[in-house]
Parts: sequence; structure tokens; C-alpha cells
Amino acid sequence: MPFVLEISLKPHLFDAHGASVARKARDYFGIPADSARVVTVLTLDMDLSPDQLESIRTEIFTNPVTQVSSYKPLDIPFDWAIWVGFRPGVRDNPGATALEAIEDILAQKLPPKSRVYTSRRYCIEGKISREQANTIATQLLANELIQQVKIFSQKDWDSSTGIGIIAPKVLLDRKPVVTSIPMDSDESLLAVSQKRNLALNPNDIPTIRKYFQQKQVVTARRRVGLSQPTDVELEYISQARSDHCNHNTFNGKFFYREQGKPGVFEINSLFKTYIEKPTLEIKAKKPWVVSVLWDNAGVARFDENNCYTITGETHNSPSNMEAYGGAITGIVGVYRDPMGTGLGSKLIAGTWGFCVGPRDYDGPLTPKLHPRRLLDGIIEGVRDGGNKSGIPTPTGCLFFHPGYLGKCLVFVTALGIMPSKVGGKPSWEKATQKGQLVVMCGGRVGKDGIHGVTASSEVFSANTPAGHVQIGDPYTQKKMMDFLLEARDEGLIAFITDNGGGGLSSSVGESARFSGGVEIALDKVPLKYEGLDQWEIWISESQERMTLAIEQKNRARFMDLSAKHAVESTVIGSYTDSGKLHITWKGETCAFVDLSLLAEDFPQWEFEALWASPEQRGLSEPVLSFPEGSYTRLLCDMLNMPNLCSREWINRQYDHEVQGTSVIKPFVGVFADVPSDAGVLRPVLSSEKGIAIAQALLPGYSAIDTYAMTACVMDEAVRRVIAVGADPEQIGGVDNFCWPTIASDPKKNPDGPYKAAQLVRSCMALADICRAYGIPLLSGKDSMYVDGHLPGEYGERHKVSALPTLLFTTSAIVPDVKNCTTADFKMPGDLIYVLGITRNELGASQLYELLGHLGKNVPVVNPTENIALYRTLHKAINQGLCASVRGVYQGGLGVALAMSALAGDLGLFVDLAKVPREGNLHDLALLFSESAGRFVVSVSHENRHDFEAALAAFDVARIGTVSDTGDFAIRGLDRRNLVETNVDTLRAAWKQRFGGLI
Amino acid sequence: MTPRALVLAGYGLNCDHETAFAFEKSGGQAQRVHINSLINKEVSLADFQILAFVGGFSWADDHGAGVIQAVRLKYNLGREILDFVEAGNLVIGICNGFQALVNLGLLPGLEKDYTKRTVALTYNDSGNFRNAWVTVAANEKSPCVFTKGLSVLDMPIRHGEGKFFAEQDVLDRLVENNQIALTYAMQDGSPAQGRFPQNPNGSHNDIAGICDPTGRIFGLMPHPEAFIHPTNHPRWTFHREVQKRNGLEAPPQPAIAVIKNAVDFARQAF
Repeated sequence: MPFVLEISLKPHLFDAHGASVARKARDYFGIPADSARVVTVLTLDMDLSPDQLESIRTEIFTNPVTQVSSYKPLDIPFDWAIWVGFRPGVRDNPGATALEAIEDILAQKLPPKSRVYTSRRYCIEGKISREQANTIATQLLANELIQQVKIFSQKDWDSSTGIGIIAPKVLLDRKPVVTSIPMDSDESLLAVSQKRNLALNPNDIPTIRKYFQQKQVVTARRRVGLSQPTDVELEYISQARSDHCNHNTFNGKFFYREQGKPGVFEINSLFKTYIEKPTLEIKAKKPWVVSVLWDNAGVARFDENNCYTITGETHNSPSNMEAYGGAITGIVGVYRDPMGTGLGSKLIAGTWGFCVGPRDYDGPLTPKLHPRRLLDGIIEGVRDGGNKSGIPTPTGCLFFHPGYLGKCLVFVTALGIMPSKVGGKPSWEKATQKGQLVVMCGGRVGKDGIHGVTASSEVFSANTPAGHVQIGDPYTQKKMMDFLLEARDEGLIAFITDNGGGGLSSSVGESARFSGGVEIALDKVPLKYEGLDQWEIWISESQERMTLAIEQKNRARFMDLSAKHAVESTVIGSYTDSGKLHITWKGETCAFVDLSLLAEDFPQWEFEALWASPEQRGLSEPVLSFPEGSYTRLLCDMLNMPNLCSREWINRQYDHEVQGTSVIKPFVGVFADVPSDAGVLRPVLSSEKGIAIAQALLPGYSAIDTYAMTACVMDEAVRRVIAVGADPEQIGGVDNFCWPTIASDPKKNPDGPYKAAQLVRSCMALADICRAYGIPLLSGKDSMYVDGHLPGEYGERHKVSALPTLLFTTSAIVPDVKNCTTADFKMPGDLIYVLGITRNELGASQLYELLGHLGKNVPVVNPTENIALYRTLHKAINQGLCASVRGVYQGGLGVALAMSALAGDLGLFVDLAKVPREGNLHDLALLFSESAGRFVVSVSHENRHDFEAALAAFDVARIGTVSDTGDFAIRGLDRRNLVETNVDTLRAAWKQRFGGLI
Repeated sequence: MTPRALVLAGYGLNCDHETAFAFEKSGGQAQRVHINSLINKEVSLADFQILAFVGGFSWADDHGAGVIQAVRLKYNLGREILDFVEAGNLVIGICNGFQALVNLGLLPGLEKDYTKRTVALTYNDSGNFRNAWVTVAANEKSPCVFTKGLSVLDMPIRHGEGKFFAEQDVLDRLVENNQIALTYAMQDGSPAQGRFPQNPNGSHNDIAGICDPTGRIFGLMPHPEAFIHPTNHPRWTFHREVQKRNGLEAPPQPAIAVIKNAVDFARQAF
């Protein structure tokens, strides 16, 4: 019999959470919510005596200073009470920790079926209609994918029963079954694949059938009691062959043509041609590149004794459905990659990148979640995932564009550090061997993430698990990581990898390739609840799990250590050299496949790619006359653009100091409100060496040319780390591609060949810039299919495709953090310099965006020119010649100058006539052109000579001085003051849009 | 003798490494110890002079920050901890550690009752987690061992539940006993008087940290272990320029001084 405990703050205490609910109801929906108070509800589904109930209530769940609680509904005034609880099978993190605490104070292990379910009751006051209460419930408080809702008016409310008893228990009530799949013909197998949502590629089916028909395969299978392939086997093959795991798009064959030009350029694998090849060339020249292109993350040398590891991921589709759950699962998930790299690294940083629709969107389309709500949820997900993992979040980026209404992008990047040697051997090398045990560590397995897409359209019953939308559990994972690092240092880990996409199927399958075989007893895998089929256990993507190989002799010590850290570890099989993946369930074989099957000759995917140049697409520069009056309002409006304005509220919620390593934080300046160019960490506390990390994305440029977009993104990410003082010779890159569907389909994707050409051009630029700047790609991922089908005004559906998006992350060594620089002007009277040439490159700029144009002249990167400048600037920074350094990014020189001024809380006087430029540029272009390769640097009078001498060979000019008042003045080509304002006015404009958000 | 500091770890705590480093850098000897190793008696509290409850999210802070950690320790190590305190040793709780100390009742320890909960650290008025640097002022009249000789310090706060709350009679007692060792302040050290963001969470009386009546148990929300190197300070590149130009103004004192006070005290006391 479950007990329901209600807890709330004492009536005279301010309820901050409730106040924020009421505020959002008013701000987002105009609903007159006067106040809201939050009641935490615990449903204790277990047998407890009255004494036990009372001690649980008072000792754990009620703070005598601030809270009241009762096993009867609390009497709190409301006009509407809205109850929100999880659906069955959704990860209830507080429920799990509550159970731990209860066992602790009762000093006994509770029966395995005992559960605590947490939920909330919101007591809202105000003149609100039922419909409005429903809006608050479904569009602010709950996502019906994972949560259930009950709404009570005063009339509906029974003060003795309250919300009633709701225990969202998973009851599957079925015996697990292995199903054999007949495959008489290609067509019948395809039909089964579609019915079971196996997502087998039709082109792969003949290869699969051929394998199972081979005589020796048939004989060998008969010996273990199998004939036709089982669902476990086909799920395994389907997972391994999926685009997500196998990168079929990037490994595909592209036929690239340019409109109006003869000939077809054939590219056999974008990955091999544009990623692997340049990276291996660069690796051969740069010994600091340690291990790339095969493990969960790339490995680079940090110092003599340590390597750093880095990778980037996206978690788009899940976040688009359930923003909080998707984002927290994404960030917690990417943290397992460095943990599963080499013999395991300790996490030292995470970063974020969000692309969403306009926050104030009120157009005709109805996205799954409104961008505002989506963004709120994503921000909170990354907050809890990062902060509760104890990993600092030194930087991030945000981009608004209507193309992301169809599907949002959530990028998460992770950095780790590991000793160069573990037990005297290189830490980045690992392999499984015959006889080693297969261990699964961390969380348990449920129906999470299985065939997510179909599951989301299933009809829910009261006890159907809704676990396909996951909620990451940073707490369980943090415990596991503490444990694994200790196990690593004791030499207990022979091999480690994470369970992400594809679950055990992928992690065991891949690790078994080293030893050449594996036997798994699937019935040993610990489950969240009974009733999962074998294939579900095998491919479940339940989070917070790692797969390891350990030696038999280390088993006892490994398990002791696991117990000390309160982490569940289970031996589920052993590695062999049989060549087979052999899975059993209670002794009976349910899969018996040659590991070499996946190396069979599966047909390569093929894509037509047809490029049309901007001119061919009819793009041109707008016909504009220049503003006649002051430019001050224009500059203010630029600073207020959604993609340029202050977004301080986001990283302010992210712990960027934990571990004590922070050198350059996400914010710089007098008021710590201006974003830094890059984050810098000092991951080894006893060392002065640092790592800089920066990110850039410029999807707007893709509307003109993805080659230019890619080159500019990479150049920006490079300049960002140069600006803070990183060594240009030790920059690594991580590429994260997010692209709309590129497969050609006359009906479903008529512009597929153009989108494919955009991808090819982007990859070409990637390779060109990598070679020119000497950047190895330490890691990277692709996420295709960034499209959505949104209902419009009349019930029609629109396909909305995102702009082709590349997030490029740079990581770089800072030889001595004490030489780092920041963007803020430091002293009045300092001299202001512009480095690099400004060109007439306003195409897809923020200025054109503001004025309603796209234009044609997208910035073109000149990498050879740039890298020489960057090297020289780096020397000048190391010699202490620069008081401030900031790159010129989106918004151009005008915005860059404003940022350095706002950060230093100092004004400036600048003369645009002095800006180094190419061609006949007007004031607008000088101020807002987004040409790559530029910096704004301030220098003291004392260093003027040395600085100018050091940079004499480059296009560098002194354009003005830092003023000793807050006055901010920019003189134009015709000698009049275009901008005459002060830093306070600019700051107000820059913070106007989101300054009120917390 | 080199004072020994036991730094708690495990169960979602996450500042153990840098806290241990801070003790070592301050001349102490630090050992990171998993809460279960202490409970299982693999490690004995009696071998240490300083016990550090560190920052993090113990048990994910799902049921009130530091609550389950306090329950766990009270039920498994209650007596040992009280003995440790009674022997005159030092206890520091930082952020989540401070939250655990007030839930254990080790703070404020009025009437020498180290088991009673009379103060709380509750949700920030902003309703959200916040990472920001704050200025704090030390109360020179306080018996607090950790803030002795310090006046104004900069440190980051990183919490969602840091608002100090107590009923007025308790607050009065804390003021009377000079147990309010650290308060949020303006940059010049004058009281924040509840102003945001200088007082980042709405704490009553601007309280950032309190000690017990003996001054040997100290809890604070800001993180002294996050300011262990000059480059941790958010304005260090500015301070460097100031130093270069006139060489006069000294950069801010790293907040690791709080930890060093503890090590120095323990060295003399034992």
C-alpha cells in the first residue's frame, strides 16, 4: 500500500521556484497567475510501519527550519492545483536517491520491488480559467511524452484524498521471447524489417541473406540450436549498419557536379578523403597528436606526463521531443566518451552549443515545442548534467534561426585528461584478449532508447514504459567515474568503452573485435524491471553504463572497489577468440554470428551532388544607400540582435570553476558580463600549462556557400584560441556536422542533390583549412536528417530543413597561462589596433540580417595570409605586448570594438579611415563587414614601438585610443562622428533582449 | 607536526581534488577519503586534525542540498564526528559541505548542541543555480579560526541553494556570539545589505559563512579552494596590467588563505 508524503516550504517563506512558475505563466502566456507554491510529493511504494514513516518524514524529507510536511494533503490555498508526475519507466532520479536514503536510516535493504516516485503539486492563485490552467500544465510544467498531469479546481479538490495515490509502476507481465525471422526472399525480410522497425537498409538485405545461407554458417548454427536468424541477431546487424554507428553517409560515394560545368567529380568516402587523409598527414608532422580516428575520443599530448582527450556529440532528436531530458542525456552521455578513451580519462571540461528557432517565434508553424520552452529545457538539462557531474563548463554558443524550428541542435563537447602511462604502458592503447571478463558497470537496463522514433508514436497505457525518452542521471555516472578512475590507477582495467548508441550490441560487438570473439550470458544483465525481450536488453540504450574487460585475477578487487563506490558492476560474459558473437539466455543460444559479418561487402551508399553557385541561384548584393544621420542607433540595434546580444543568463547557470582550474572564464571584464573569446583551463593544478577551448558556428553563411561557411567557422574557432594566448602550432579540431537530409527524392527531398553538394563543399573546405592551418581533426561526428515536418495554419504540413551547420571546436595548448590575454580594454589612453584586412564582405552578415537582406559577398578566408599573422600575434602576446586581444567575429569591427569597451567599461575614439582595407569600402562595410582573419588589440604607449615592430610585416593599423571616460566615438571616412555614445548606452542596448533572464 | 586533513569524497561530491590540493599547498597533508571508507573503518577520523566537507552534489541534492549526506553520516558516524569535534579538531564545510554541516546540526552549535538543526540554506531568491564571484568580508570579532586576520576576500559562489535562513531569535544569537564569520559585501568591503548580485542568493544578514561558538567549525557557501592560483581571479589579466604599469597595487589575496589559517592553527594546536 503506497504512502503519499507532501512537503512544502513553510507558508511565510519565499518560494523561488513557485515565483518563477508564476512569472513564466505571465510572461510567456499572459496568464494572470498571481502566485504559485510548489509541493513536493513522494509516493512511497513499500511496506512501512507508522514509526518508520514518521522517522523517514522527519529525518530525511522535512527540514525543520524551512519545511512542513504531512502524509495527508497539505492545506495550501490555490485556485488551481496542478499535479505533474512521471509516466511509468521514465528515469526518476530523486526517487532513486530517496530510496537510498530510506534504506540508510532504516538500516535495512528494502525488498527489490520497493519504489519511491516523486512528483509535484503546483498551487496556483489568480483569476485563471480551466483552459489557462491547462496551458500552464501542458506548456510550462509538463511534457506529456514523459509526464502525466492532473488539474484540480477548488471544487474538484477533496482535502482528505488530495491527488490520490499514483504509482507509475512498470508492469510488463510477460516472459521474454526470442523470435526467429524467416527470410525466404529479400522482399519478405524487408517486410519484417519494416514491421519490426529494424530499419535494415534494403541494399544490405541481400548481403545479410547470403551470409545466413552459407553452408558452413548453417552447419555451425545448427550445432548451437539455431536455424533462421533471430531477432537478437538482426537487431545487432541493424544497429551496427545504422548511419549513426556506421556513418554510411560520410563513407558514401558522392558524384559531385557543378551546374553549367562539364564532368563529374567522384569522391569515394568524404570521411577518408577530407577527414582521415589530412589528419594523418598532419599527425605525421606533429608528434603531439597521439591517437586519433578510432577511439571514443581523440588523444593529444598535454605535457610529458599527461594526455588530453576530446570529442564532440549532438543530441538533437531527443532534445527536440523532450528538451530537458534530451539535453541532460546528451551532456552526461558525451562525458562517457573521454571516460571510455584509452584506459579512461578524467573529465576536465564540457561545452555547449544550441541552435533553436527564434525565441519569440509567433509565426504560423507549430513546432513540437515552442523555441522558448525548448531553449529553457535544453539550458536546464545541460545545467544539471554538467554541474552535477562536477565538470566545469568554460564556454558555449547559441544561434537562433527559423530553420531549427523543424529540429533543434544540441551540441555537447567533452575534454578529459589521463596520465600518459598506466602501469608503465601507453594509456591510449587498449585491446581485449581471450579469457578476459566482460563487465557492465553503472546503470541498469530498461526499455530506454529502443527504436525511439516508433515508440514515441505508440499509444500510452497506464503502465507502458515511456523510457524511450531518456533522462540522464549525472549522480549515478559521477559515482561510476570516481570508481573507474580508481580502478584504472590500480591497473584493473584492460579495456573500456561506453554504452551509448546501440547499447551492449555496439560496445560488446566492437570490443570483441580485438580478441576475436565473445560469449555473453544475457540473463546476467541487471534490469530495471522484468519483461524485456532478449533483443531489447541487447540494444537498449539505457544510460550511465560502461563496458569493460578485466582479467579474471582482478575480479575480486574490482568488485570490492565497485561496492565501495556504491556502483553496480556485473560480469556478463567473457572474451574469446572463436570469431563469433555468441549470446545465450539461461544457457540457450539466441545469437551466433561471425564478427566478420560486418566486414562483409555491404553496398556503399551513393549520393548525387549538384552545386549551383550563388550567382546561378540569383543571389546579388542589395542596393543600399548609406545612413545619413548618426550610426549610434544602428550600432545599438546591432548589439540587440538575437545572435549578437548578451546571453549571460545561460553560462551563468553553469559551474565554470569546479576543479579549481579556471584561467579564462566564459565572461570577462569589470562586470564579468562580456563573453570571452575562449575558455582556458589549467587542468594540472601543480602546472602552469593550460588548455584553451573555443567553438564557432556560422550557419547563416551556408545560405550563400558552405565552403565559405566552413572556412570562416574554422578560422573563427582558431582565432578565438589565438586571442587568449594559445600556441598556433598545437591546435586540434573537432568537427560536428549537422545537415539536412541529402538523399535525393523527387517528392520528399527535391533539393537533396544541392544539399549533398553543400556537404561536399563543406568537407572540401574542412580539408583545405586543416592543411593550411596545420589542424588535425582529433575527433568529430555527424548528425544527418536535421529536418522536421511542422503543421501550418491550415492543417498542412511543411518540411522545415535546418541550414547546413558545422560546429567547429578548437583545443590548444597554452604554454604558460600567466601570459593569457582577455578582450577587455585595460587602461585609458591605450592604443587600439586592427589586425587583418577588412573587405566588402557583408554577405549573410548580421547587418544584412538586420536590414532584411542576404547579399552575396560572404567572407572568404585567406588561410596562408592569416596563419603567418596568427603566429606573429602569438609571439607578441607571449612577450606581454598586448593589453587586450579580441577577434572580430559576427557583427564585424563595430561589435568587436563595443565588446572590448563594454568589458573594460572604458570608452574609445576610433577613426575608420585608418582601418586596413581592400578596395573602396564605405563606412557600413568598415564597421560591420565580417571579414575573417581580424583582431582588435589594445597596447600600452610603452609597448607601442615593440608591438608595431613585431607586426610590421602585416596589415595592421592603429585606429584610435581607449578613452578615459565612457565616451564611445567612431569617426567615419568623411571625418564626421558616425557613432557618438557611451558604454552605458551600448551595454543597455546589448542587454535589452535577454538581460532580465536568470 | 604536519596537520592532516581528511577530505570527504564520493556520492556526487566533486571538489575533493582541489580542496585536497589547497590543504597540501597550505602546508598540510591531505587525504581524499570516500565516505564509505570512513564508515567501514578503513580510515579512522582520529588520525586527522581537520575534517573537510567539500562542495558537490551529494546524492544529487535531490531532497534538499546536503540532506542525505547528513543523514548518512549521522546514522553511521554520528558519534565519531562528535568525538572529533569535542577533541578540539577543526571542521570546514564548503558549499555542499556547509549544507551538510547545518543539516547535521554541527552548525551553528548553539548551546554546544551539535545535533540540532536551527538554520538552513535554502533556494536562492533567483530560483536558479548561479556561478559568480562575490566579495566577502570577515568579521574580525568572530572566534572563527579560518577567517582570523582576514578582511576582504574574493571567491566564487556556485550554488542553487545558498540562501541562509534562520528565524530572528536564532539570527540574534548568531550576531551576539559573533558566529557570523563571513558576509557578502560590496567591492570595498562594506555590507551588501541584501543587494543583488553582491548578495547573490538573498541570504539573511548577508550571511556567507558561520562558525560554531568555539570558532573551530566553519561553514561557508563561497569556494576558497577555487582561488588557489592568481589566474583563478576573474580580473587577473587586469591586475597584471595594473602591476606592470605602476607596480604598486597588490593583486587580491587568494582565498586559499582560509585553508592556510586552518593548517596553521592545527599545527600550533597539536
